[in-house]
Parts: sequence; C-alpha cells; structure tokens
Amino acid sequence: MILAQLVFYLLAFVTVAAAVMVIAARNPVHSVLFLILAFFNSAGLFILLGAEFIGMLLVVVYVGAVAVLFLFVVMMLDINFVQLREGFLQYLPVGALVGLILLVELALVFGSIAMEPALGGAAVSATEAGVTNTEAIGRLLYTDYFYLFQAAGIILLVAMIGAMTLTMRHRPDARRQDIGRQVRRRPGETLEVRKVPPRTGI
Amino acid sequence: MNAAMIDLAPALPEVFLFVAGLVLLFLGVFRERDGLSVVNPLVVLALLVAVVLTIGADKGPVLAFDGHFVFDDFAAFLKVLIYVTAALGVMMAPAYLADARMGRFEFPLLALFATLGMGMMVSANSFLALYMGLELQSLSLYVMAAFQRDSTRASEAGLKYFVLGALASGMLLYGISLVYGFTGTLSFDLLARSFLVGEGAAALPAGAVVGLVFVIAGLAFKLSAVPFHMWTPDVYEGAPTPVTAFFAAAPKVAAMGLVLRLLFQPFGDWAGQWQQVIILVSVASMILGAFAAIGQTNIKRLMAYSAIGHVGYALVGIAAGGVAGVNAVLVYMAIYVVMTLGTFACILLMRRHGRYVEGIADLAGLSRHQPGMALILGILMFSLAGIPPAAGFFGKLYVFLAAVDAGLVWLALVGVLTSVVGAYYYLRIVKIMYFDEPAEAFDTMARPELQGIAAVAAVLVAGFLLLPGPLLSSAEAAARALLP
Amino acid sequence: MAEIFWGTIWPLVLLIVYILVIVVPLLVAVAYLTYAERKVIGGMQLRQGPMFVGPYGLLQPLADGVKLFFKETVIPSRANKGVFLIAPMITFILALIGWAVIPFGDGLVLADINVGILYLFAVSSLGVYGIIMAGWASNSRYAFLGALRSSAQMISYEIAMGMIIISVLLTAGSLNLSEIVRAQAEQGWYLFWHFPMFMIFLVAILAETNRLPFDLPEDEASLVTGYNVEYSSMTFALFFLGEYANMILMSAMATILFLGGWLPPFEVAPFTWIPGPIWFILKVCVILFVYIWARATLPRYRYDQLMRLGWKVLLPISFGWLVLTAGVLVAFDLVPG
Repeated sequence: MILAQLVFYLLAFVTVAAAVMVIAARNPVHSVLFLILAFFNSAGLFILLGAEFIGMLLVVVYVGAVAVLFLFVVMMLDINFVQLREGFLQYLPVGALVGLILLVELALVFGSIAMEPALGGAAVSATEAGVTNTEAIGRLLYTDYFYLFQAAGIILLVAMIGAMTLTMRHRPDARRQDIGRQVRRRPGETLEVRKVPPRTGI
Repeated sequence: MNAAMIDLAPALPEVFLFVAGLVLLFLGVFRERDGLSVVNPLVVLALLVAVVLTIGADKGPVLAFDGHFVFDDFAAFLKVLIYVTAALGVMMAPAYLADARMGRFEFPLLALFATLGMGMMVSANSFLALYMGLELQSLSLYVMAAFQRDSTRASEAGLKYFVLGALASGMLLYGISLVYGFTGTLSFDLLARSFLVGEGAAALPAGAVVGLVFVIAGLAFKLSAVPFHMWTPDVYEGAPTPVTAFFAAAPKVAAMGLVLRLLFQPFGDWAGQWQQVIILVSVASMILGAFAAIGQTNIKRLMAYSAIGHVGYALVGIAAGGVAGVNAVLVYMAIYVVMTLGTFACILLMRRHGRYVEGIADLAGLSRHQPGMALILGILMFSLAGIPPAAGFFGKLYVFLAAVDAGLVWLALVGVLTSVVGAYYYLRIVKIMYFDEPAEAFDTMARPELQGIAAVAAVLVAGFLLLPGPLLSSAEAAARALLP
Repeated sequence: MAEIFWGTIWPLVLLIVYILVIVVPLLVAVAYLTYAERKVIGGMQLRQGPMFVGPYGLLQPLADGVKLFFKETVIPSRANKGVFLIAPMITFILALIGWAVIPFGDGLVLADINVGILYLFAVSSLGVYGIIMAGWASNSRYAFLGALRSSAQMISYEIAMGMIIISVLLTAGSLNLSEIVRAQAEQGWYLFWHFPMFMIFLVAILAETNRLPFDLPEDEASLVTGYNVEYSSMTFALFFLGEYANMILMSAMATILFLGGWLPPFEVAPFTWIPGPIWFILKVCVILFVYIWARATLPRYRYDQLMRLGWKVLLPISFGWLVLTAGVLVAFDLVPG
C-alpha cells in the first residue's frame, strides 16, 4: 500500500508540475511536450484507480494521436509567441478579479451543501465482480448510452465533412498517379520496335 | 442487450434524416460535378418526409433509448416547425451559392445534419442528449458560417462563431457537471422526480442552482440573448446570406424549445430560481435589440439586432410561465420564423449588376422598380415591428398578455416601449423603399423559390388574423404536453 | 522489518530480476538481428556479409557497439539540447517497455494486464515522439523533414493497425494477450481466419517501424538519413537499438495476434515436445525474416504512394473486414464471452 501511495504522489506531483510548465514554458514546443507528460501521468493515475481501459485510451488517443498533430502544428507555425504574450499582463487584474469572485462563489456553494443523501445512491455503482472495466464500459455504451454513442458518431462525421469542406482544394494542375491506368498499359501501346539501318537514324 | 430491443419508432424522423444524410453524402461524392443540383432538392425532400413522419408518429408521450429521447406533442410541434423552416432555408440557398462560386454539395448536407441536431435537441430528455444534439447542430453551423472559404469576412464569421460557441459549450458543460455533481443524475425525468421527493420544501441544492445558471448562460449564447449576443451581428453580416437565413430561423426555434423543456420539465418546480435570470436576459435583449439596430446600415446586421430583440420578447413568455406563457412563446417563434424567412428571401433577391448587395440604402425607391417586392418587404417590416393587423402584433400580444397574467406588468411595459422604439427602424425601411430617391434597379431574376417564399410569408403574416386557429390550437396542445 | 522486506522489497527485487531476464536477451537479440540482417541480405545479393570479426563474423555487432560507444557525442550548437538528448532515450525506452505484456509462454509474462493489446498499441503509437522530437530538436532541415514524414506515416498506418486489432479482438473476446493466444488454441490460428488482415498487418508494421519499403523518414537519397542525421555515437546507437527492438516487438505482436503465440502448429507428439517459448521465438524469427526479405527485395515507396496505400487501400479494406467480422460473428452467433 505504501508503494501505491508513493506511486500516486509521484504521478500526481509530475502531473501538476507538468501542467504548470505547460503555461510557464517559454518555448511553445516545450509547452506541448509538457502537456504530453501531463496526459501521460494522468493515464497513470487512471490505471492506479483501476480504470485501466480509460488510462490506455488516454494514451492512445490523446498522447498518441491528438497531441502529435498538435505538436506538428506548433512546430510548423512561425509565430512569435513572446510577442503574442505582450500585454498579457495588463488583463491580469480583471482576470484575477473575475476568477476570485468565481472561486469565492463556488467555495460558498461547495461549503454549504453536501450531496443530497437521497440522490447520492444513484451516482455510485461499482463494477460487478469478475467484470473487467473494459467490458463494463462496453455494456453501458451499447445499451443505456447507445443513443448518445451514435450521436457522437454523427458529430464526428460532421467534423470530418467540415474539415474536408473547409480545406480540400482540387488543384487542376496537380499531376496525379492513376495506378489503374499504369497497370492497364501494355507495351504495344507505348513501345514500338523499329529497325534502324546504320547511319540513317529515324 | 439485444439489438432488436432498441425501439426506433419514436425517433423515426431523425433516423430517417440520418440515413438520408448518409445516402446523399455518397450520392454527392459520386456526382462531383453537379453534386449541389442533385443533392439540394433531395435534402429538401428528405426534410419534408421527416415532417410527414413527425406528424404521423404516435405522440404518446413516448420515451426511447433508455429515456434519453422523448417524443410528445411539444417535440412534434417544434420539429414540424424546424423541419419545414430548414427545408425552406435549404431551398433558398443553391442559386446564391452557385453565383458565389461555392456551389458544393456539402452545404445542403451540413444543413441536414444541423437540422438533425435540432431535432435531437427538442427531443432531448437528458443533459447528455441535450449536449449531443446541441453540438451536432453547432458544429454543422460553424462550418456553414465559414463555408465561403475564399472570403475573409466569412472565415472571420466562422472563426468568431466557433470560438465563442466553444466557450458557450464549455459553460454549458460546466453547468451540467455541477448539476450532476449535486443531484447525481443527468436524466430530466429523474431530475424532475428527485426534486419532489422527501419534504417537498427541500431546497434545490445551491450547486445545482449555480449549475443551472451556467446552463442558461450557455443556451442564451445559442439563442443570441443579450449578455451573450456579441457574435450575432458579425456572424450574420459575415456569413453568406443563405447561411444567415438558415441561422436566423430554425436554430433559434430549436434553442428556444430546448430552453423551454429544460426550464419547465426538470426545473419546472423551481421557477423562482431561474425566473429572475430569464427576466434579466429578456429585458436586456429587448432593449439592446431596439436601440442598437437604429444606426445600422447593413440589412443583415439589422436583422441580427432584430433577432436579438425578438428573442427577448419570446423570453418574456418563458418568464411568465404556465401554459399561457409557453403557448405564447411557441406562437411567437412560429410567427418570427415566417417573418424572418420571408425577409431573407427578399434580401437574397437584392442583386445589382451580378453582385449581391446588403445595404439598407440599396433599397431606396424599390417601390418604383419592383412594387411587388417592396409591398412584400413592407408587410414583413410592419409585422416585425408588431403593428396590427400583421401577425407580429399578435405574437407580441400573446406574450405580453401572458406576462400581465403572471403579474409581470412592468416586464410587459418594457416590452411595449421597446417595441415602439424598434418600430422606428423597421418603418424606416418602408420609408426608404417608398419615399426615397430611387437608387439603381436590382437585377431582374427568375428565382421562383425565393419569390414564392417571400410572397407566401407575406400572405401568412398579413392574413394571420383570418385563420389563426391551426397554429394556436397546435401550440396549445404542445404547451399542454410540456406542462401536464 | 521482515514484513516490509517480504511484502515490499522482495517483490521489487524479483521484478527487477524478471525485467533483466527479458531485457538482456532482448538486447543480445537486437545485436544479432543486425548481424542476421546483413548476412541474409548478403546471401540474397550473393555476397558474404560480415565475416572477418570472429568466426563467420559473429562478433561484428559487438565491434560495432564498441565503436559507437567510443565515439564523441556531437551536439549541434543550435540544437535544443534537452529535447535533443531525451529523444533517443524515449525511442529506446519505448521499444523496451512494450515487452512487459508479451506472453512468451503460457503464464510466462511479466504483467498479465487486462488491456494488454491496448498497452502495446499505446506504446507503439508513442514511438513517433522519439522521432519527431529528434527531428525538431536537431534544428536541421533534413532532420525536420524526416520527422514530419515519419509522424504522418506512423499516424496513418496506426489507424489501419487499430482496425485489424479490433477484428482480432472481436474474434477472441478479450484484450488480454494471453487470452487471445488461448482463444487461438480453441479456434485455430487467426492467420487462417483473418488472412487478409495478417497481410495488411505485415505491411502496417513495416510502415510503423519505418522500415523499407516505407523508410521515407530516413531516405538516404533525399534526406541523408532523415531524423537522426545530427546524431552520433551513443545517441545514434540508441535510435538504432530502438528501431530494431521495435521490429522485434512488432513481430511478437504479429505472432500473438495471428500466429498463435506460444502454441505449436499441431497438437501432436513431436511438436508438443518443444516448449512454448521456443515456438514463440521461432515464429518471431519468421516474421523478422520477412522484414529483412522485404528490405532486400523492394524499392522505396514515394511519399504520395505511401499515403495512398495507407488511406485509400489498407484502411478501407481493414474497415470492411472489421464490419464483415462483426457481421459474421453476430449472424452465426459466434460472439465470444
């Protein structure tokens, strides 16, 4: 148990430290790399909680795919981030004030009322014994939440259509490879064997 | 567990729309050259079929998909309104798109998916379903706003809409998570029931109230109600006109329907908690809509402020509450949609030397060149201003009466005063059309669909008094379904 | 004290021993994989391959290692030093940690976790970071171009790989690698059921490990050697080791998913005498041979051809196969579990 706690504190500390570095790092690429580190450690925290499926998904989806593209973009952008940050501080007082008010309000709310005991029961349901959490998630996703799962699919479809609509351009001057045509081509169509008499040429 | 157990019948119109969307997507991809001209009419057809399916369905109320989806008279009324409006919106688009050289088949498809999202919104019976529908609709609309990708203004509009929309979604989600954290459920049914259990007087948990306020803020953004209206004028002006026409009509109905269901079903017993918020938003919207529109020179921008104002009036009905209030909101939205579509059909006809113009000054002396169009636009402006006997007047009348009945006399008074201010700029357009020195004539165009929509809208608006029955009775049924 | 020792420290010590038992042979295997590669390619091209250092050139990998070890580590002056040094370590470490979930025999696995296949997939998808970081931190055009090519390529082929893995998972009914092998004991190797997927998987792992014919990231002819052009000595050696360790890892993955892991080909006497791990290693060697074979035989793809193959050929086929698999399983009521 000591070990588990140690691992927790290690992961939690690195997550928080990395998250701080995301906003503190001067180089945007470093920010993204710290973000990835934070993702990675959060995945570790999930695994520690026993939610290994979500933990792995976090790595596969966020670290393995989303953050790579993000890194890609940041590396290729030629933006002077230092310049962008100029004048950032002048919004600080307003931002801090709003944040403070919100914080106080939320503290009041959370401090005043605990969760309704009558309703609390519905929220917590542990996984049945012998069911891996992959299976438990699968069961829920394809039964109770089937509608939402499909809806999420439609949203992703629209995102795809949108990305293509907004970015794809047909370049009429681009030379494309037509593999079918290449394969269909026979020597007879393009090659011609001629006998060339010496010293005359064709 | 078994796939056969999932009952699709209550969601038949949406399932049909989804399948139609996929089929048409394929069709469009394979008909690359003339994609738009093939897909566009089919999308309109699909939406009209969805209307028929909605009317024919069993209006139980029935629940589907483990209670995430509900279909009742209320949903049916709004869906018919949304699908018809969307069909007309799609019908208006292709000519303009072709002129602006962006005639690609994705446009009607995005509109179709946005409409599907709206259908899901008004049928949502849990916060998750609400969010999914809302995101589906918003995402499609973001893309539509930026559809004219070679135009900086359209791209700017799309980007602004997207960034602010994402912010609103964030607030909405934050609110939802608070509600969930303090009540332990996301289902509207369970929420409605769980607030009643125990000693009925048990207060709504404070966290849930904070959450509800965030949710209302997120939805107010989609409605373009006042503190969250900043995007509206820029997006209305920057986006291509058919997109603006689409934006101005169906999504507003869907968002209003969502707000109605959310406030009156799960939180219906806690009107005291959200009423002040709605009143505040409503008053601010009415005032801003009335005053900010005065100085506008671009008619699309004017319509944006007009939309803000009209949302404010509709919210008066929500603040009033009760069957009468809901009824008034529904009637108001139906009339608003008709007026908006008609007006945008006229705006789409404003073309001079092959270029579309949007200035109010361009309308000068329209009555000389095109008396028919001037008459139609004039009627619509009278109605938007709320001058009897046009339909717009009755919409406002019902809303204000509901407010007076609910004891909110001062709110009704604010509404009347702002209407008077608003009437100024609507009537100014009429004055420009009829009495100003004529500007150059618009191109004469044979656009039967636009001219037809404008004419029908004008006839409906002018003749509302003669046959108000069907609208009023179906709105009444819908309101009763929402408040049993 | 005793309790803490037996409860906490002893398992840790054991764990470290297990890890060493896996890693040390692995590193030796990596070293001799390079030797095997040169010998096999030599054979295919009617050459001898390495033959001077030690008998049959068997000490050649060690000599190479020693040479790299004693060279100077050059760090380009405008490089981003931290990232530059971390990148090869990431590549190398990722190639090693994947082995934690590989079952060498029935029960012979370091961590028998429920989501083993997802873990492997996650580790392989992280591999791109070593390369993209190296390319960026080198502050060199060739390196950066190589890194960009490589990340686009790995992401593209990962999707097809994911689809293939899901087909296998549906048939096996588990995400646990040992369970997948056991399911094959009952149902027969997935090589037969999912033969087209096996072929696509072979292609995808070639691309995933940046091997010929998909080694565009290090395309000598146009990019000098791509992302690792600025690396020298041990930092280079780490990339090199990582690449080959990854090849072995991917071969092991293919073995587990399609070739029945530690199972003998036939459950009859002479085959069952040979222990499971030996079968496992033999199968991995077969796939590694395919790797080398492809390198000796095929010319390099052009970049647009690579993308076309990934997105327009492999991905649709594997999607279609996934749907087919799911359909067949449901229609004939074969869904496991």
